[in-house]
Amino acid sequence: MARQVTPGNGKNMADDQNLLEINHLKMYFPITQGLFGRVIGYTKAVDDVSFTIRAGETLGLVGESGCGKTTVGRCIVRGYQPTDGEMLFRKADGAVVDLSMLQGEELRPYRKEIRMIFQDPYSSLNPRMSVFENVSEALHVNKMGTRAEMEERVGYLLRRVGLRPEYMKRYPHAFSGGERQRVVVARAMVTNPCLIVADEAVSALDVSIRAQILNLMEELQADFNLTYLFISHDLSVIRHICDRVIVMYVGKVVEVAEGLDIYINPQHPYTEALMSAVPIFNPRQRDRDRRIHLEGEVADPSNPPSGCYFHPRCRYAEDRCEHETPPLRQIDAERGHYVACHFAEKLELRGAVIE
Amino acid sequence: MGDILLDVIDLKIHFFTDEGVVKAVDGVDLAIERGKTLCLVGESGCGKSVTCRAFLRLIANPGRLVSGEMHFRSSTNGTIDLAQLDPKGSAIRDIRGKEIAMIFQEPMTSLSLMHTVGDQIMESVLLHENVLKPEARDRAIEMLQRVGIPKPDRLVDEYPFRLSGGMRQRAMIAMALSCNPTMLIADEPTTALDVTTQAQILDLMLDLQRQDNMTLMFITHDLGVVAEIADDVAVMYLGRIVERASVDTIFNAPQHPYTQALLRSIPKIAMQRDELDPIKGMVPSPYRRPSGCTFHPRCSRRIEACNRIVPSVTELAPGHTVRCLLYENIQETEALQHG
Repeated sequence: MARQVTPGNGKNMADDQNLLEINHLKMYFPITQGLFGRVIGYTKAVDDVSFTIRAGETLGLVGESGCGKTTVGRCIVRGYQPTDGEMLFRKADGAVVDLSMLQGEELRPYRKEIRMIFQDPYSSLNPRMSVFENVSEALHVNKMGTRAEMEERVGYLLRRVGLRPEYMKRYPHAFSGGERQRVVVARAMVTNPCLIVADEAVSALDVSIRAQILNLMEELQADFNLTYLFISHDLSVIRHICDRVIVMYVGKVVEVAEGLDIYINPQHPYTEALMSAVPIFNPRQRDRDRRIHLEGEVADPSNPPSGCYFHPRCRYAEDRCEHETPPLRQIDAERGHYVACHFAEKLELRGAVIE
Repeated sequence: MGDILLDVIDLKIHFFTDEGVVKAVDGVDLAIERGKTLCLVGESGCGKSVTCRAFLRLIANPGRLVSGEMHFRSSTNGTIDLAQLDPKGSAIRDIRGKEIAMIFQEPMTSLSLMHTVGDQIMESVLLHENVLKPEARDRAIEMLQRVGIPKPDRLVDEYPFRLSGGMRQRAMIAMALSCNPTMLIADEPTTALDVTTQAQILDLMLDLQRQDNMTLMFITHDLGVVAEIADDVAVMYLGRIVERASVDTIFNAPQHPYTQALLRSIPKIAMQRDELDPIKGMVPSPYRRPSGCTFHPRCSRRIEACNRIVPSVTELAPGHTVRCLLYENIQETEALQHG
């Protein structure tokens, strides 16, 4: 089988700009049957995914539901033990560690470095804990400071995310959705992390609140030199916040490109279809014919099609696509554009409508 | 305005809870034109869903229809004031599902898990039309075919959990359209779907609307969807319609400060990544509605009178109304409200 190229660089984190390097990450979930849980197959939620995150950037991860984007995020925070692959993380002192090899207590120092923001602020805060307890839990677990120091840190962070420090004694039910999401952001920030995995962090919020949280995240990034992995299905939010974008389809990376590049110059037919479906915010540019209708349904990750997973729905598919899995390969070295399609050079694809 | 199908006048729906009265809908005037697509936009809690449920008299306790008129031009019984009907009576049940049908947001919770897709479509056909079971079943298969479900004769006997999100929403649409309604109310029908599926469902709804000359009332918070499908737009904020205009006016020449601020706060796919300009503050708690214009604490163009006077509906141009003191004679309104 053709080895995939790692976007960005080769092995052992040659590029010291990289904060995290994911190589051939696989996360298979067993499908069991019967009384004794006999394994009859695997759902390949993440299937040989490689990419890098550069220090200080915002990397977008897009795809439709079930494409494995959330699973990638959870592997990185080690909510899951990956089936295979490496996740090389550069520590503050410059040493490189493979997160996928660590177990239990060994992971503890990295849980402070890599934090997560979840989608739904109503279910991700513990309703029985006050805001102070919710935010300071990680400090407590890691024995970082006295009670007074913790209160000072939480108070500082609440002020930083735009809430009054006095609010730390209140419980989550007293806050609106937007305020809760601010608390969730403060909680992620409490251990002074270098990488934040934001899984659909603004998807559940109203438009006026969404803009506030996006601005807040950008401010915090500048002030604390944060790196974000921003997982979302919303392409206009991704355009707004991300420096580079990765597109996933059924557990695989199909395209990686610089922010604007992926919108104006998509090279994978799936990316093209995705871009064509984004609503345009101007009724004068309404054009239903621009939309590409994908035939059929998203492939089943436990029983994916042969060859290129996208071929049954692809308008440009040829025989080769059915038999041969296209590797992710670089097509534009200068701009770091990678694509997994046999015919990327041949196809003339349309980009999104740019306003 | 042309042929009005549903004319809503001063609709008020209040929820009488233990903590106080929530004025979910507080004086909504809305004329819905036949054959057009009207989008009702607003943030969560603004009363858009409650307004539409009121058309079908589906307001549950502790909500009550306090006042208002809803004149509906029935295709069989002339003009009916829906507000006067008994919510449990036979008159409204003849309209519900037959003349006005509704599609809900979450197709998994609004379809019954215990019945096959076909049975659920047949239910409304058997209820409203004088047909026998085999005929209703044929109709169900025909409807599933129309909404683009592959192998409809097989899927008619499937249970909803076997369908994907997009297919379930198609089945919901098939169910809503099975009795050829005059008006279809769609409450956030694509919010739970992926973008590619959303595009398909929107196209399908527009095609079906065109074929049957159906009136479509579309509730959404997604302004991108509005720009794609609407003819007319009504923007709601805390129980009132603050601006109503054609889709072109709303996007290219909005007048109400809330509409303007909403449009500025959306991230767009643009060449430049500009900083977003959010609306400051939060939507206030429904128990503590601001006095005067409810938007005034967050408004960037607020004037002194905004916290005392409730703005009335001002017509700026034919078909373009706005509720904002910037566009009306303040002395006149004040004199009216304070005697």
